[in-house]
Amino acid sequence: MSSESNKDHMGSRHSDHSPIHGSGWNTASASIEPLYNLFVAVSELVLTVDLPYVNEKKVKLRCPTKEAIEIFAATTRKITFHELGAKHRHGEFTSYHARIKIPVRVDQKKIKSKFKNGVLEIHVPRTK
Amino acid sequence: MSERLSEDDGFQILETGSIPTNAVMINGLPDVGLVGLLAASHIVSSLKLYEAGSIESDLLPPMIVLHGGLPKSPVRIFADDSTIVLLSETAIPVPLIRPLATGLVEWAQKKKIRLMMSIGGMAVANRQDIDAPKVFAALSEKSLEDKLGGSAEILDEGYIVGAYGLLLRKCAQSSIPAISLLTQSYYNYPDPVAAAAALTSVNKILQLKIDVGDLLKRGEEIRLRSKDIMHRTQEEMSRMNKSHEYDLPPLYG
Repeated sequence: MSSESNKDHMGSRHSDHSPIHGSGWNTASASIEPLYNLFVAVSELVLTVDLPYVNEKKVKLRCPTKEAIEIFAATTRKITFHELGAKHRHGEFTSYHARIKIPVRVDQKKIKSKFKNGVLEIHVPRTK
Repeated sequence: MSERLSEDDGFQILETGSIPTNAVMINGLPDVGLVGLLAASHIVSSLKLYEAGSIESDLLPPMIVLHGGLPKSPVRIFADDSTIVLLSETAIPVPLIRPLATGLVEWAQKKKIRLMMSIGGMAVANRQDIDAPKVFAALSEKSLEDKLGGSAEILDEGYIVGAYGLLLRKCAQSSIPAISLLTQSYYNYPDPVAAAAALTSVNKILQLKIDVGDLLKRGEEIRLRSKDIMHRTQEEMSRMNKSHEYDLPPLYG
């Protein structure tokens, strides 16, 4: 009972991203991978993404395949690792990029999103 | 000045500076939303506490942190003449949680700690929609309710998973007054707004005047800087079944 109610409340949590260079920094695209959370609820999939230094208008969503959602978001300014306290890392990034694998079937045409306080929230209904 | 406090796996507290007795001890360990770590770091810088010791254990990851060019333990103790802060810059590995809680309470007894406060987060699914996160308090004894002065809502039923749960129980068993402050927060996103809410409660309980303005102003920077430690903390939280806290409260009281 309690285990089921837990699933109802929080959903099943998926987060299998593992940055290669720390911070998921991709030097070629000057992007880093954001923190994200995927909840699989009974009727929908809820994905949230933490995007500090992002303006809502600069967020782009894409569904490259039936099993993935891709997020691009340009930061409001160029951010260097130096200013984040990593003096040993010379580099910068200007965007976030994440390609997130979806563990269940969803209706990607009905994808909805909102952006508040720097956090993107995406809802997609599940299909059979 | 070092003191071995536990037989378990080489856990010890190294005292490198003056530690007061009859002080308030505040724990800021990384967990949900990094609320404790962010709040405790802010306390250390606001009150200008000095470094007074560290936790040494073979169960910690084989790492050091560099501060001011010097190698430090990632789990350190800061103090002034009335406050002690335990702050960890790495997620506490699950096997260390039990010996850490036991050792800290033994140490707290020796230091005659008059109040132990632990600051943490409590994940809520709709955090984006909450502008002013609520602070909840779990107490080691009923008489502490008055001390809260309405700054936090009492948690009567439920589970607390991790170091703070064990600390609270061991403090209760050892008659050390203890309060766990749990603030509504994101689960795996650093949450400086929740840390500021927790500090507002700490201010009321301890009659301090810590300014949280800077914490809020630097919110985006803090979130980005804490991203990697949040990611590693999330892995430890999964190992200790932190989501168990969202189960319905136990049936029998």
